[in-house]
Amino acid sequence: MMTKNSKLNIIVFFLLIVFTAISAVSFLDMRAPDKIYPSRGVTEIRKLSQYNPNLKDGPADTDIYYFRGSGDGGSMLVLGGTHPNEPSGFIAALILTENIIPLNGDVYIIPQTCLSGFSCTDPMEAQPMKFSFKDSNEARSFRFGSRVSNPLHQWPDPLVYSHYPSGQKLSGFETRNLNRAYPGKAEGNITEMTAFAIVQLIKSENINVAIDLHEAAPEIPIINALVYHEKGEDIALNAVFNLEFEGLKYSPERSPVNFHGLSHREWGDNTNAYAFLMETCNPIQGRLRGITNESLIIEGNSDTYFSAKQSGALRLEYLDEGVPLKLRVGRHIVGINSIIDVYNENNPDESIIISGFPSFEDIIEKGLNFYLLKGEKNEK
Amino acid sequence: MSPEIILLVMLITFAVSVFALRLPSGVSLMLAAILGSFAGGHFFPVRHLAEGAFGFLEAIMIIASAMIFMKVVNASGALGTISYGIIKMFYRSPLVLMIVLCLFVMFPGMLTGLSSACILTTGALIIPALLAMGIEKKAAGSFIAIAAVLGEIAPPISIPVMIIGGGVDMPYIGFNGPLLVASMPAALLTSVYFRYRYLGQFDINEVLNKLDKPVYAEYRIKLFIPVIFILVWLTGEQVFTQYFPHLGVPLIFIIGALLGFGTGRKFNILKLAEEAIKDALPVMSILVGVGMFLQILTLTGVRGDLAVKALYMPEEVKYLAALVMPFFGSAYAAASVIGVPLVFVFLGKNSIVVVSALALLAAMGDMMPPPSLLCAYAGQMVKESNHFRILKKSLPLLILIGIFGLLMIYFANDINSFLKIIG
Repeated sequence: MMTKNSKLNIIVFFLLIVFTAISAVSFLDMRAPDKIYPSRGVTEIRKLSQYNPNLKDGPADTDIYYFRGSGDGGSMLVLGGTHPNEPSGFIAALILTENIIPLNGDVYIIPQTCLSGFSCTDPMEAQPMKFSFKDSNEARSFRFGSRVSNPLHQWPDPLVYSHYPSGQKLSGFETRNLNRAYPGKAEGNITEMTAFAIVQLIKSENINVAIDLHEAAPEIPIINALVYHEKGEDIALNAVFNLEFEGLKYSPERSPVNFHGLSHREWGDNTNAYAFLMETCNPIQGRLRGITNESLIIEGNSDTYFSAKQSGALRLEYLDEGVPLKLRVGRHIVGINSIIDVYNENNPDESIIISGFPSFEDIIEKGLNFYLLKGEKNEK
Repeated sequence: MSPEIILLVMLITFAVSVFALRLPSGVSLMLAAILGSFAGGHFFPVRHLAEGAFGFLEAIMIIASAMIFMKVVNASGALGTISYGIIKMFYRSPLVLMIVLCLFVMFPGMLTGLSSACILTTGALIIPALLAMGIEKKAAGSFIAIAAVLGEIAPPISIPVMIIGGGVDMPYIGFNGPLLVASMPAALLTSVYFRYRYLGQFDINEVLNKLDKPVYAEYRIKLFIPVIFILVWLTGEQVFTQYFPHLGVPLIFIIGALLGFGTGRKFNILKLAEEAIKDALPVMSILVGVGMFLQILTLTGVRGDLAVKALYMPEEVKYLAALVMPFFGSAYAAASVIGVPLVFVFLGKNSIVVVSALALLAAMGDMMPPPSLLCAYAGQMVKESNHFRILKKSLPLLILIGIFGLLMIYFANDINSFLKIIG
């Protein structure tokens, strides 16, 4: 005869199985790849493992989109999704992948640089697993991932992360942060191997301009910044100056010399590329955000940030009406365009000429649906 | 519902569950999370509850493995021998004895940045000695819990500082001096307080008779191989990264436990492991519950609302905003949620000193409810069923340490100048 306790245990056990099965389905859904429809300018799609065979067929072996222009010129690399919880970088790189056609020079785009991080979310951050664009005819969803590589792919974290090769110490969590791992290690952990492959890509393809697209919480001072390695100071300052003429403020920030592992620092130090990083303001990353949902990603509207700004206690770049994703994506795209323009002025023999580059005004007026929802894309 | 009402629903659910229904704290936190998500209009968000439950997975594994390790060194006789040795060496000067014991408890935290490593290893080692010297059990628990907090922020490794630093892109450079200022005066104060408040006259022979008899003469140095292995490997991983492969703290503790075979008295590892997990289960379930609780606080916007309310404190009392940190109930949660914005609130003051002081205030959170993790551990070790009594015992010192942390922020620039002068 069963006791009351053993009956309770069986019920709890059964409920746990149901609970586990339901949650497993939603977590496994994060492993399904996002669809990308490359523009006709894409000449080739290769895997990142091309530059570090240790990544081959693994969870970090992301796609690189090659755009070989018909004329000679320089070369540019654009990274989106270094941090998969910073969607404007990913979406900006995706829109470029699906729209541009280089005429002179080559362009390389990696929309989901930290592919591993796109397969999970950060515990206790309660962020949505996906965000969607939809109209009356169609819908398109993308994964909203973790800031860092999936712990299932790289675990356990050390208590203290010691950066290779500088030995700089950071908290153990940063071991899985791609933008603390450069220049990387050929046979390191998955994050270091990814960083190594990107540096090898820059070296072997003789990249002239390398741009890493990011976002940050509204309370972080480098919001709306264009961070540059000192080699590219002239380009960065002129690009910011030109953007001011268009009514867009970017704060130029020199890459700190003693903070290792960052893309702009290590690419600039270890390759011939002019290295840049751009940040936009992403409320869903912030510690002061209120209700955490998909709308906060797309509309970027947070009552708590509005309230925090009103308090005057913090310097916040948060706009009273919110910081919608289209604004953040637009800033990245116009920022890249401005960098290329100045680079071309300084290097007329190695210029990069691109058609199909969306303008800031178009992105704001037409919205992201215009670029992401096109019936013909689904037919491809 | 508004964030205030959601929070109220969660707190009332927790209180009713713990005090009226007498359910375990971990289960109560889970119930609070579930009702909080209902109040927030999310009904039963399975994915969020599961994700939150895994928020402290590493800490849970560390606790489980460390508890097994402690059972092994206790059974082998190493634990008793160390306690016996410390008392015998320093009993003539009780104040020096308390200072040595405090630093001894802090030591693993200095190397790992984990308060739980302190309380589960060196803290557990000295409990028999503290009790044998006549310190009441709640005070003994309070002593090791506070020392564990201080160990967590003492240099060279302070994870709360690294978490705050990571949020503001501040490399972990130049923190040794400010962290010594944050931790050592408080450690001295703790030692003096417990010496004069709780340690009376004791007869050394009586104390030694109450302790487990040392077995050093029988097993010699091999008795300490597991303890030496743990200390060497944890240090090696931080300091000599190129020579010590990263194993992860849980595996280090398990290897340490396995190394215990043949180093001292015989033991049954399976039986000890079963006992250890049984002992640790309440604490581990609290962590599962806290993870769910925090996930729902974030999902419903309560977390952000609390942080913004702290910013609204008037200019003249903005230092009180920093005092909110301990009430997050977890050093890491406090450091990441409010530590980062607070750095910007105190712009203009030396940031390294400010971050060190904020880390001190955040670390106190490890003793505070809802999880009261360190008090729960200490309660288990001293056999005190209500671990909130240990927190109560600690309050006078925690208040003093909190005031000290605020003074550090206020005088951050002066402290920085002083540290520069002394090199």
